[in-house]
Amino acid sequence: MLNHHMQLAWHYFAQEYRQPHQQLLRWVQAILMIFIVTLSLSSNTIQKYLQGNLQNLLGADAVLTQKDNLTTNQFTSLTHLSENVVKTLQINATLTYNGKWQRSKLKAVGSDYPLQGKLLTSTSLQSPATVTNGGPNAGNIWLDSRLFASLALSIGDAINIGELTFIVSKVLIHEPDRLMEGHNVSMRAIVNIDDMEKLAFPTDLIQHRYLVSASKSQIQQLIEWQQAQLPAAKIHHKQGDHPLASFWQRTENFLGLASIILFFMAAIAIEQIAQVHLKKEQYFSAVCMSLGATKATGLQLSLIKWLINILLLIPVVAILSSVFHWLILGWLSETFVEITWQLELWLTAKTIAICVLLFAVFHAPVWLTLWQTSVAKLFHQNQKNMSLGFIKLCALVVLVLVAVKYSDNGLLTLMLVGSISITILLMAAISWTVLTLGEKATQGFSGLIPFTLFMMKQRLLSKSTQILGIGLSTFLLLFTLMLLKDLGDTMVSYQRTHDGNVMVSQASQPEMEAIKQWSKDHNISLRQTKPYLYAKVVKINDQALSKFTEKPSDSLATLSRSIRLHWSQTIPNNNHLVQGQWWQKETKNWQQISLEEEVMTDLGLSLGDKLTFIIHQQSYTFTITASHVYKSGAGSITFWVQMPQAAIQHINAPQYNMASLELNDDQWPLLSQLWTNHPSIRMVSLQELTKQFDDILGMITKVISGFAVMIILLAIIVILSSINALESKEKKKNSVIMSFGFLKSTCLQLNIIEWLITALIIAIGSIAGTYITGMLIYQSQFSLTYQPNLFILFITLAIILSTVTLLGVYASRHSLKSSVKQLMFDV
Amino acid sequence: MPCSIELKNVSQSFGNLASNNMTSESKSPTITLFENLDLSISQGQSYAITGPSGAGKSSLLMLLSGLEKPSSGQGSFINDKHISTLDNLRSDIGFIFQQFHLLPELTALHNIALPLKLRGDKQAISKARHWLEKVGLSDRADHKPSQLSGGEQQRVAIARALVFSPKFIFADEPTGNLDQHNANEISDILFACCQENNAGLIIVTHSNALASKAQNIYSLADGALTKTSSRNSAGDQQTEKNATHDLTKNLSTNERLVASC
Repeated sequence: MLNHHMQLAWHYFAQEYRQPHQQLLRWVQAILMIFIVTLSLSSNTIQKYLQGNLQNLLGADAVLTQKDNLTTNQFTSLTHLSENVVKTLQINATLTYNGKWQRSKLKAVGSDYPLQGKLLTSTSLQSPATVTNGGPNAGNIWLDSRLFASLALSIGDAINIGELTFIVSKVLIHEPDRLMEGHNVSMRAIVNIDDMEKLAFPTDLIQHRYLVSASKSQIQQLIEWQQAQLPAAKIHHKQGDHPLASFWQRTENFLGLASIILFFMAAIAIEQIAQVHLKKEQYFSAVCMSLGATKATGLQLSLIKWLINILLLIPVVAILSSVFHWLILGWLSETFVEITWQLELWLTAKTIAICVLLFAVFHAPVWLTLWQTSVAKLFHQNQKNMSLGFIKLCALVVLVLVAVKYSDNGLLTLMLVGSISITILLMAAISWTVLTLGEKATQGFSGLIPFTLFMMKQRLLSKSTQILGIGLSTFLLLFTLMLLKDLGDTMVSYQRTHDGNVMVSQASQPEMEAIKQWSKDHNISLRQTKPYLYAKVVKINDQALSKFTEKPSDSLATLSRSIRLHWSQTIPNNNHLVQGQWWQKETKNWQQISLEEEVMTDLGLSLGDKLTFIIHQQSYTFTITASHVYKSGAGSITFWVQMPQAAIQHINAPQYNMASLELNDDQWPLLSQLWTNHPSIRMVSLQELTKQFDDILGMITKVISGFAVMIILLAIIVILSSINALESKEKKKNSVIMSFGFLKSTCLQLNIIEWLITALIIAIGSIAGTYITGMLIYQSQFSLTYQPNLFILFITLAIILSTVTLLGVYASRHSLKSSVKQLMFDV
Repeated sequence: MPCSIELKNVSQSFGNLASNNMTSESKSPTITLFENLDLSISQGQSYAITGPSGAGKSSLLMLLSGLEKPSSGQGSFINDKHISTLDNLRSDIGFIFQQFHLLPELTALHNIALPLKLRGDKQAISKARHWLEKVGLSDRADHKPSQLSGGEQQRVAIARALVFSPKFIFADEPTGNLDQHNANEISDILFACCQENNAGLIIVTHSNALASKAQNIYSLADGALTKTSSRNSAGDQQTEKNATHDLTKNLSTNERLVASC
């Protein structure tokens, strides 16, 4: 029996193969599966690469990193727990030479470096790399090739750092423990460990890193010892996570969230296509039943046809995804060196299976209707029922659950899903208002426009579905493209307006005094200064941070490192309170903090929760009493965590400052002088910021462009599906109009007017949706004021109007191929 | 001055589409529906064309309405002694179909108002309401087609076809989907309304009962059109009116109103 059904299903599948609704369904399924499978394959390869990379490139069995030097007792304990220990130091410093400067990581090592792996150097930029044992001798410095080029140095040149002079003696090619520094592309230099002490940098700015060779059991003991004795320190080991793992996990989650948008669009397209499917399959099933077949037969045939469709797509999806996987790995090989492509059959199959399950949920209304169908449906088609609404609601819930699962940033997900919902409501409201008011206002008039408005109002429900489908796609496309453009524009203009053109991100108290004096001497405008100290969150409500939440997020990633803790008596001008109460000016209760709203949301914190910080090796516990957000217009220096000024009396720790300066063109060379005397001042110019930003933007542009292509493809399919869903109705309407003595040209005019009105509603809805989303997300996620350009919005409106109208009229051409004769023979 | 439609020496045949790309020798023979056919249709008169399935009745209707071109011969539209092609007939004709073809999303009233709205008539709704009354459905104005019976839907379709006062109405099996009682009622309404509006009515039907109500009855069979009956004289018209009167005698008030149109 099943065999017979299979043959029958195959027969009908082949007959329907070229029908538009089947073709559209195949396109949606194929595009989405290729995207998801490619994403999964690429992610998996990178995760495997990171794991393998960790095993080979750690440069030690374990590495302990912390801000301060270990005490003698602590160092003795460490040596007892390991076979060998090598100490290195590292600081961010700005190197200067002949009026040029370049920020770099300055590392200090001894003759016992490296512990494991190979240190590679060369005697000139062109010479081959050779294995070197031990770091540079005192008075020597080795720089990497980029730093060489950037400062225009040659071997044998002398450069000054602080009070010391160093001879450039080698080119640094590779350090075996580089991996520990995470995804970091800073330029690098190495000096002797004894010279670092002579340079007398503030000790708390130096990162102390202990490379340890240890057995598995020793590593375990080491971890326990660190957790008990040095909670603010960090341990990386061969059995643990790659430093890039959480970075990649967050990238993956972001892409996952982005793919949710594609799933939303696919769901819209499938919902539109299902309307045609539903009618055809219901009719077919009812005819079968009227000929004596059981209800199950119709359902089985429908299921088998759907499965055949999917099965035929799978080889195409598998091959294309593998090709895209290979291309993406080629592109990523710049970041992940020596990453290799492999065929991943099991993962491909697993991902396709998950996609197929999701498609089945989207398609379920068709099968449910078939299950409820009866011969009577031949006489009364299109009976709606509650279960269909329920199934559609289930599909929506599935989408939201997938969105939540992939969420890396609770607030962002909530805002994205919220924005989509607001846009849906907005478009429904605009459709209703425009069509109702339009129809009412033109009631007294006659002609094609009032007639079109009247017909659209009469078809409000089906028309609204079409408008929502296309409108949502347009909104998503518009938002993606706007985000790309506005982020760049707003950020650059914002920086210029409020922050001057040099930002000091870290200056100790003496360094800040030097900056003040220097700016006073040279008449340089010092815009703002804000003090802070470094603190590391180790516990939340007496629970270790790593155990409090395992869900990766921006906030968690930042809190795992030392953060800047700011103090102030009153709420800063560029913050405003969203929860709780800001402390009184002269409060004695110093153990309270205000936390940024996004951090609260990401970590699920609420007022009254307690955070324990390690500040300069001392533990302090604070209670969250307020929550603040950034407010634009009063400078961009803002802090996630702030405490009362009174706290500073109780905390003994080095204090630093953030500041912003405005330099004119003639004053730029003066920076070199400041940096030569104070190489550890962290300053970045707007030019550098812009360059860094451009690099990031360049990468984001590539990703977003690829993503926009996917959205455009799906948006076209949504438009075609929505037209396909209404095609039979449109054909009939046109034939009936022609039976009143009108020509095809009248139908074409009506069609153009209808699409213009549809496009207008879509354009208004999607632009308004983008605006609201911009207001919500820009402010909260990027701390930027969303200032849309009205000219660009107007151009966008015109582009949407013309594109949707042209595409709509072109895709509706089949419905214009109607005639009175068809009505006559339509029995 | 009444208008008329004339077909002279008209033939209609179709080539076998499947063999279009074959050589001339291998082509299947063309199917000829009718040859050298002459027919004259006058405004204000009613015509019935009967014949077996596949004889070409509907094709003849398409030719008469100018929606299709004949393979040979000529069709013309004579309006006030001015002779033109049948293309000029387009705005003066209405259609009534076996399947009614009302737009499902519109109410009965709005379905009727549709052709007037398209023509820019500001009185569309009041005229449509008047026609609803004429066809006896004034209480069904706000009902959608799915809420109307087959007979009621066809009444709406008749009102819709006549509301813009076309000179000719073409009806393809207008009672083919209705029971005997409804078929009688609808045909009475159709004839009465066309007569009142001085519209020429051309019906294609299998039903002898329906055909017998027309003033001119033609039979199309084996490619030839034969006139089987004509009641064109004043006496015939009087007889017809009496017959209509007899028919309406037994109808309800509403139905009488309808039949008198």
